[in-house]
Amino acid sequence: MAMNANRRTPFPWPLLRFWALRILPAWFLIALMIFLFQLAVCGIVHDNARVKALLQYIDMLPFIKAFIGGDALQFGNIAGLIAIGYQEPFVLLLYMLFAVGVPTALLAGEVQRGTMELILSRQTTKTHVYICAGLITVVGMYALVVVMFLGTVVSTNLYEFDQEVPLYNFFKLAVNGGILASSVGGIALLAAACFRRSMAVSLTVAFLVVNYFIMIITQGWPRMKWLDPVTIFNYVDWAKIFSEPKWPVSDMCVLISILFVSTIAGGVIWSRRDLPL
Amino acid sequence: MKALEVKTLTKRYGSARGVEDLSFDIEKGEIFGYLGPNGSGKTTTIRCLMGLLRPTSGQCRLLGEQVIPGRATQHTRIGYLPGEFRTWPGLTARKSLTLLARLGNGDEADKRQEELAERLDLNLDRRVRALSKGNRQKVGVVFAFQHKPEVLILDEPTIGLDPLVRQVVLDLIREAALAGATVLLSSHDLSEVAAVCGRAAILREGRLVELAPISRIVQQGQRHIKVWFVEGSHVPTLPADRLPGVRVIQQNSNTLHVAYQGTVDALLKWLAQFPVDRITTPETSLEEAFIQYYRREDGHER
Repeated sequence: MAMNANRRTPFPWPLLRFWALRILPAWFLIALMIFLFQLAVCGIVHDNARVKALLQYIDMLPFIKAFIGGDALQFGNIAGLIAIGYQEPFVLLLYMLFAVGVPTALLAGEVQRGTMELILSRQTTKTHVYICAGLITVVGMYALVVVMFLGTVVSTNLYEFDQEVPLYNFFKLAVNGGILASSVGGIALLAAACFRRSMAVSLTVAFLVVNYFIMIITQGWPRMKWLDPVTIFNYVDWAKIFSEPKWPVSDMCVLISILFVSTIAGGVIWSRRDLPL
Repeated sequence: MKALEVKTLTKRYGSARGVEDLSFDIEKGEIFGYLGPNGSGKTTTIRCLMGLLRPTSGQCRLLGEQVIPGRATQHTRIGYLPGEFRTWPGLTARKSLTLLARLGNGDEADKRQEELAERLDLNLDRRVRALSKGNRQKVGVVFAFQHKPEVLILDEPTIGLDPLVRQVVLDLIREAALAGATVLLSSHDLSEVAAVCGRAAILREGRLVELAPISRIVQQGQRHIKVWFVEGSHVPTLPADRLPGVRVIQQNSNTLHVAYQGTVDALLKWLAQFPVDRITTPETSLEEAFIQYYRREDGHER
């Protein structure tokens, strides 16, 4: 049977479906925790007595306070208090768990398990395999952000607040946060394309820890403010998003650039590299 | 058209050697043996052919098309069994095989899966992690054959299988070739190569040291003579200077087992000086020929 040498290899939808189904339980668990966390935060901050207790508690942890809102965390600033649910280290940890775990499990994990050799021995290009992993990571991250925003929407309907909750601003924050999470996914994809699983996880976690550490330092130590642009967490500034009606386009562009550069670099390396099969 | 061509293929891993300047081709419908010890470069060649590794230089062609690493343009027409077949342990063999079949032209694979599983006595509904090593290898065999490929690239297909199942696998290979498929059979088991292959290549330290019909490879090997001397006579010492290429395999009180290359004339003339009771000539095996290829290194024994 004659075959055309220039024909395109069809996209491996069965692989995308298989990987998506494998990731789904972990995604669902993380999404549920994020959703419940938003309900819990709103449940706490709609009650004035609890808010006072919370603020007293947070005042004892200046670094944590700086990270989850700083001076904006004041009695009566409902939006600022609800935004804790978007920036609390536990929520960020859940996001990062997905961002680091998924691409490394799909790319480096399949290589390490020996199944990548089988996948690539079928009519599947390396680029398609990489796109499948990238799609699941980025779409999964974004879907988590949507769940987080839905948590806020549901909470504001469940609880009564003294002030109107600016949901549009929360939507902007969620979109920007989603891009941040996706860019971390891009970094993890790059690491998974270059290294074995343990090394890829270690490097991505190290990248996040360093960025987080820089952010904590710059928030709590004004003399180190010049380091602000270095950390990716600087590009989701909830105070700016809530105070300005515009979208934070420049911050979003920086994060999208990180996402594109890391994902494309990972794709190029992945397709050119001899896999350690 | 050649089904498979390897042209001046070189693959190096940094400074380490993979394969060096390999060239061979395989005709359509041929079963071709690919022999070599561990680390000789068999798997490297196969992975270059599958587009899983990027050659340092040279090229591979499959069914007339150049193999472009990572592009998989011909992979629906190839059945591949890796040297170490590992699949998703949490899936059943059936789910695993169906997923892999769907990544290509797997429309008829379900029916074929059943046929193959029955012949190999394999339960497809057990999770892979619950299968023995031999049964996992059977899953690998089903994976390679399930989509009726035009080219089969099999890296140690019978490893871990019992003799009965090995025969079934060899039958499958023969049947595939009869139906027009081309087979590249990499193996350590020389008897199975001799049983199914018409031609074979022998690889040593990344280089091709022989490419010939099996019958010729066997002839390249040392031949053997076993001599029984008359009871009570002593076994003479072999004069190495007068009988080059002859070496003692075993020596007892009245028997001498020697291996020789070339003609037997000089050896027989030397033996004629002694009281010989009888002589036997054990059949030369491919195994011995193969070992011979590995003993020689630039014309000398290691």
